[in-house]
Amino acid sequence: MTNLFKLIISLLFFKVGIATAYADYSNLFIPQIKYEGGNSIPHPTAIDSLLGQIERRTSIETNRGLAQIALSHPNLYQYPFIYMAGSKEFEVFSANELQRLRNYLSYGGFLLIDDNSSNTNSKFDISVRKMIEGLFPQVPLKKISRDHSIFRSFYLINRVSGRKQVNSYLEGINIKGRTVLIYSANDLGGAWARDKLGQWAHDIIGGGSRQRQLAIRLGVNITMYALTLDYKKDMVHLPIILERLKRHQLP
Amino acid sequence: MKVLIEFFGLDPGQFNEVGLSLATKDLSYAWILTLFVVPLALWFFWVSFKRIHSPFHKILLISLRALTFFLLIFILLQPELEFKKSHILKNRIVVLVDDTKSMSIKTFPSEQSRADFVRQAFETNQGVLESLANIFQLDYYLISDQIEPTFSLSSGGHYSPKKTNTDFEAVFSKLKTRYDGKSLQGIMLFSDGGDLAMLPGTISSGLLTLLTSLEGPVHSFQAGTNHMFKDLAIEEIDSADFGFIHQPVRLTVAIGASNMGNRNIPLVLKDGDTILLSRVVEIREERNRYSVQLEFTPNVLGKHVYSLTVPLFAGESVAINNRKDFQVKVIRDRIRVLHLNGRPSWDSRFLREVLANHPKVDLLSFFILRTLDDDVGSPTSELSLIPFPTNLLFNDYLNSFDLIVFQNFSYKPFIDKGYLTNIKNFVERGGAFVMIGGELSFQGGGYAQTDIEEILPVHLEDKPQPFVDESFDIQLERNPSRHPILQLEKESGANSRVWEKLPELNGINLGLKPRKNANILASFVKGRDKYPVLVTGRVGKGRSLVVATDSLWNWNFRQVGEGGSGRHYHRFWNNLISWLIDEPETRLLKIETHKERYEEGEEVLLRVSVFQLNYNPYVGAKVRLTIKTRSGDMKLATLKTNENGEASHRFIPTEEGFYTIKAEMKTGKRKLEGKTEFSVFSETAEFQKPRVNETLLRRIAEVSGGNYEVLTKKTDFSKANFKNPKIEIKTSSKYVSLWDNWWVYALILSFLSLDWFARRKSGLS
Repeated sequence: MTNLFKLIISLLFFKVGIATAYADYSNLFIPQIKYEGGNSIPHPTAIDSLLGQIERRTSIETNRGLAQIALSHPNLYQYPFIYMAGSKEFEVFSANELQRLRNYLSYGGFLLIDDNSSNTNSKFDISVRKMIEGLFPQVPLKKISRDHSIFRSFYLINRVSGRKQVNSYLEGINIKGRTVLIYSANDLGGAWARDKLGQWAHDIIGGGSRQRQLAIRLGVNITMYALTLDYKKDMVHLPIILERLKRHQLP
Repeated sequence: MKVLIEFFGLDPGQFNEVGLSLATKDLSYAWILTLFVVPLALWFFWVSFKRIHSPFHKILLISLRALTFFLLIFILLQPELEFKKSHILKNRIVVLVDDTKSMSIKTFPSEQSRADFVRQAFETNQGVLESLANIFQLDYYLISDQIEPTFSLSSGGHYSPKKTNTDFEAVFSKLKTRYDGKSLQGIMLFSDGGDLAMLPGTISSGLLTLLTSLEGPVHSFQAGTNHMFKDLAIEEIDSADFGFIHQPVRLTVAIGASNMGNRNIPLVLKDGDTILLSRVVEIREERNRYSVQLEFTPNVLGKHVYSLTVPLFAGESVAINNRKDFQVKVIRDRIRVLHLNGRPSWDSRFLREVLANHPKVDLLSFFILRTLDDDVGSPTSELSLIPFPTNLLFNDYLNSFDLIVFQNFSYKPFIDKGYLTNIKNFVERGGAFVMIGGELSFQGGGYAQTDIEEILPVHLEDKPQPFVDESFDIQLERNPSRHPILQLEKESGANSRVWEKLPELNGINLGLKPRKNANILASFVKGRDKYPVLVTGRVGKGRSLVVATDSLWNWNFRQVGEGGSGRHYHRFWNNLISWLIDEPETRLLKIETHKERYEEGEEVLLRVSVFQLNYNPYVGAKVRLTIKTRSGDMKLATLKTNENGEASHRFIPTEEGFYTIKAEMKTGKRKLEGKTEFSVFSETAEFQKPRVNETLLRRIAEVSGGNYEVLTKKTDFSKANFKNPKIEIKTSSKYVSLWDNWWVYALILSFLSLDWFARRKSGLS
């Protein structure tokens, strides 16, 4: 009976499977990368919850739900934003998968990687760094500076957050002036995820609801950056943004 | 002389001079012999003759030996006689007469032209010139920026000044080359000094160098004076040949004023009949030259002939210099694009990337990031959102844009409906507008029955669900390959294949009914129904376009995923922008000339090309050509296009100046227009600086050591002095050797034999 209830609830909240994303094609949908080994969906509700927040807070229309997609999937290029989560060591990507992901990112795609282990130097972290080394051997992961558009694409943010603040920064890879990959070690998905009753699925470690709000805001900003790029660096926006940054000691 | 010539067996008629010279070049041996060896030997001989008691014998022997030494030295020096025929050459004097148009300007109060002063002076001084011609070789030249040999003006030489440019530096440079090594002993210069290249009161360093390198003086005779010379002139316009649309073009205008008194005059800048600006210039009696800075902003692309005028006052010597035309080619430096997005989406993200990376685009993007219904969960101070500056965009700066893009953008509640009228006016005046589909576009954006609907190439029909998520393949209209927007590849076959391979699109706006004059480029065909996807239209002087989907980004990112590239997506948008902003290559009626500048009397070739709305050749189109000059508008010809939609016309312009050829044709209710501009030159530059340049003529004389004089009835050329050094020239010569003869050697032998005989007689061995 409990299982049946869970199934009904999950059908109410999630649209499962990649095919569901075809409807409302214009809307934003973020599939998760499916990979071998480890745990590719540590927080099944994280993206759905984030998309809900985006829908509520911004003008972006979304298709909510969970969908996994393999890098070799022919429909990969229908989704310019993909999410990769995990908390454990995963198998090395094949050369074909790396090549496909490299092309995907180089020609307009965007990847958010989220370490959900809440540990420094986790096995997922080691696997991710190894994967990125193979992905862009010539372009190392670098800390994202605080004047990056990600920190002003919707909210003005000057603190990187997550369920647990493992690092005080985000890392990323830039290709031709565009950040194509962002890596967070702070378990953003843990802060976004809700349980089946719509409550927050995980407590925040080392902070309260403010930290969760900041994690949500960071998720909104990352998504907004993927959709608008450096729009907020256009000269017309700068004076107001800089004035606000100067006046307020923002969290 | 004659006897001597005959003595050596030569013809006395062939030679008139004889000279002695030495063939040997090295005289050191002769000097050593003469100064040391011979005296020493003679002293030695004198001492050795102690035993001879007879003084007669002693003197005889010493004399014989001295004579022998003399002959030896004679042989050593190799003397020879040069018989030659030579002439005395005449030195040259050059007479330069200014042959430019400014010499026709009258001098007051006599109202004689400057050229008349020159003619009069030559007639008065005919005798002096004839006398000079007896002594010197007189060469006459008419000068401008060239030198042209002529006869003496006093003896029938034709003189009617007509050249267009005075350039003394060029003239003296050519003279120097021509008279190099020819004993030029002086120059007489008759001119008004109106060198167009010289700044007032100055002389160029190049001319100074040339003058100082001359062998003789330059006597300058000034034709005419500035006394009572009344003139107002636009002497010079300093401007760039091209300017940028919507950017100020700056001019520096030099105005010359002589005897105009104290008055304020208007300087007026016109484009055709339209006054662009007017500036008051304060003319003061003590000043002759004024520099005025002007600035205007061109708003129409293409070549434009502008005119600057000052009023013509009674009694002015030259009327033609009160107006000066100049041409500026107005080009687009940047394409200013206003890109409004109703909400962030992949379609807007990829289009923004194209626009931001376009090398000529200045992009101003606005995304509606939140609506009034959204709950951002934070105070405004923690948001990066800025207020939408509607008044600035759609009122103050609207006309500075070239293209406005509404992408899935609903104007409510961000834009007041009144601003939609501004956008309509902007397009009708030549701007460009494109609406890209999505839920918030067309009917979904509330544009039905608004001014925006009026500028769209489609009517907006009532639809309960105007936007549907449906996947479809785009279908091009018949024969579209020539339309510039659809040119994704140069070669027609390759272009068709590209269109066939583009990925499907998803999501289409329905209820768009193309207007009568719209041009449908592509549609979504479903059964019997046809939904336009790409539609172009022309509104007034502007252009508008509809993209009835929000999934064109499929042609970029998704195409890459299918093994292609995004370059055709980029090219599509670049083509679309070019067409929207009316780049010359996208015009339906094109007219051009094969040159931009023509000489007076040269034939002009006009070529006309006409295209239909779908850019297929317009066969049999009747194109009316009108010509516009200073004199007014005039019908030139009516042409009929051939099977390639082309026609041509040749004609010879009847007058100098700037010409505008306007081509017009009617197709249905629509009128197509094109124009081209060119200039025909018979330069009037000489009249732009009509004053006599007294300073220059004075300096030319001073620097070269000559005299400066103003031509009057009493002018006397004999005051001009020239040196006349003797210059000889040899025409024939013959050398006869004096030492290489049998009698020289016979004499030596005789002296030695006599010496031997005398010594024997004196008892010596």
